[in-house]
Amino acid sequence: MRTARRLDGRRVLRFASGLDVPLANLAAAGFLLVLVLMIMAYALGVGATALGIGDALRAVVGAGIGDGQAFALWQVRLPHILLGFMAGWCVALSGAMLQSLSQNPLADPGLLGLSQGAMVALMVLLVFFPGLPHGLAPFVALAGGLGVAALILFLVGWDQADGLAILLMGIALETTLSAVASLLLLYTPPETSYALSNWLAGSLFGASWSVIAGFAPWFALSLPVILLVGRSLKSFDLGDETALALGENVRRSRPAILVAAVLLTSASVTAVGPLIFLGVIAPHIADAISRSTGRTRLVLSALVGGLLVVAGDTLTRANTSDVALPTGLAITIIGVPLFIATLRLRALRTVQ
Amino acid sequence: MRGRGLVVLVAAVALSAAFLANLSLGASSIPAGKIVAALTQFDDTDYDHVVVAYQRLPPALIAIFVGAVMACGGCVLQGLTRNPLAAPSVLGVTAGATLFVVAGASVFGIGEAWQGLAAIGGGLFGFASTLVVARMAGLSRDPRGLALILSGAVVSMLYASIATALLLASPSRRSDFLGWVTGNINHVYAERLFDFWWIGAAGLILLMLLSRSLTLIALGPEKAASSGVNVRLVSPLALAAVVVSSSAAVAICGPIGFVGLVVPHIVRPFAGDAMTVALPANALLGASVVLAADIVARSAFAPYVVHTGVIMDLVGGLVFALIVKRFYLSSGPRRFA
Repeated sequence: MRTARRLDGRRVLRFASGLDVPLANLAAAGFLLVLVLMIMAYALGVGATALGIGDALRAVVGAGIGDGQAFALWQVRLPHILLGFMAGWCVALSGAMLQSLSQNPLADPGLLGLSQGAMVALMVLLVFFPGLPHGLAPFVALAGGLGVAALILFLVGWDQADGLAILLMGIALETTLSAVASLLLLYTPPETSYALSNWLAGSLFGASWSVIAGFAPWFALSLPVILLVGRSLKSFDLGDETALALGENVRRSRPAILVAAVLLTSASVTAVGPLIFLGVIAPHIADAISRSTGRTRLVLSALVGGLLVVAGDTLTRANTSDVALPTGLAITIIGVPLFIATLRLRALRTVQ
Repeated sequence: MRGRGLVVLVAAVALSAAFLANLSLGASSIPAGKIVAALTQFDDTDYDHVVVAYQRLPPALIAIFVGAVMACGGCVLQGLTRNPLAAPSVLGVTAGATLFVVAGASVFGIGEAWQGLAAIGGGLFGFASTLVVARMAGLSRDPRGLALILSGAVVSMLYASIATALLLASPSRRSDFLGWVTGNINHVYAERLFDFWWIGAAGLILLMLLSRSLTLIALGPEKAASSGVNVRLVSPLALAAVVVSSSAAVAICGPIGFVGLVVPHIVRPFAGDAMTVALPANALLGASVVLAADIVARSAFAPYVVHTGVIMDLVGGLVFALIVKRFYLSSGPRRFA
């Protein structure tokens, strides 16, 4: 392992296996990681119960606190923070994968209808089969998401190499499925429909250790996904023809990447509802911090995604007015200005 | 040209049929003769007459207004952007208008009259955001002009979700708008129709006046310019008319936008490229389609009543898929524009 200068002039850290990681990317990952930890620590001290950062941090490592404070810390704040980070991580990862796959900077699991597929499947489960066990939910959501992905591929043709066509078909399905979701909302009993409409807007309201335990395996799955998919995405980033020329088996890797993206999306939809737009924003912000490809881009995007959701959730809890701010809206409030700034930045960079 | 005129006639017949059916069907069906009587010689002691005049006529008029405005808007947008997927709801106009009305009512507490203005501001804002995102996302390798559609979809998704989230955040306003936000044709909104109809009407008249130039622009801006059309004046004027009038429609009954995508495609094979024929045909047929969708929304899921916007979204999504399949996936030469 040593530092070297690559052909394009970027300083890289070269491993014995021949893998190099640009130093700028490493620095960016370190920066993001520190930022995530700082926001998480800050978030521990934010909320309706009086419990400051210092006491909260000491309590996490074992110091004693009052019962009410312990409840706020262990049953509300920590689950919110952890689940938020995990969900944001997964959605952003899925967005970054879809963007490389469709070679389009605006691709997003929400825009492609994948979130809506998972959402509609869950609603069907809730409305028509309320007796089935809760453990089934992630699998039902996954089936819904996969159904949409298969439908898209079927409608555009399995051999179609056109990322834009996939995206357009996704938009069509997204519109249709959103309408179906509104229809299903009618059939839900009034006492659940409010909670459901909250969940439809993306919410960490239901965060608890049991939800985290259900979500953890899917979150863990994201690591092998990053390792396996990263290299293929690198060649997709260079364009379909180049990917083919580099020996990338597009016909096999495209469905595989799509399935991985669906997996991560459906799991997070089950846990926190659809986090609209996060999949678009996070990779762009990651790119603005440090330009990268392949696995590195996935990791950076995922970190930004987790960061945004934790920040959004903190904003929700910091808001002490009697108006409850939905988490989805809080994420948008933080994310969109950053997104616009990154687009501006990119426009400036291309001009030069 | 006589064959072309026939389209308008057929559309007019369709509209009258849909209008009568819409007034007649409901909790109790009222025979057509009685409806005509209620409209021509109103008798306030007759129960059926009162039902028609106060309960069924206002929503039917709203449906006609929305259908006409949105369909013409879609027709003009598809011509100007030379893109078969363009429509007020695809390019962020309806979502922007929805967002501004909801934000105005729930955050700033503005009254009904100002909501019309907010809708128009929002429609313009939504359309502008679509243009800006398309430009800034730098989709430069874009031979088919699809950057606009894509950024419109992103912008719409974002604004619609913010609007829903705002409603969730303000319980006092939720009941007022939770129906409206999915496109609800309801006699409660008759007052809004009364307040804002003239905006849509003015927009449609302006489009009709510009129709000759719009036909030429749709065939190609250079061609139009060479035959003496002031493209730089007419295009923005027509766009503004479309955005403003469809925002007014949103202000009345919420987003029912996908009529604008669907109807121009039904009309085009019969009416051809001439906007002078296509616009009236679109207006009439758009009105009939929304009237029909309204009937479906009221009766198909009984005892529940669905919102008309949801039915239109359902149909619109499927038609969107068909258009993608036909114009972007067939290997043959594209026939559009």
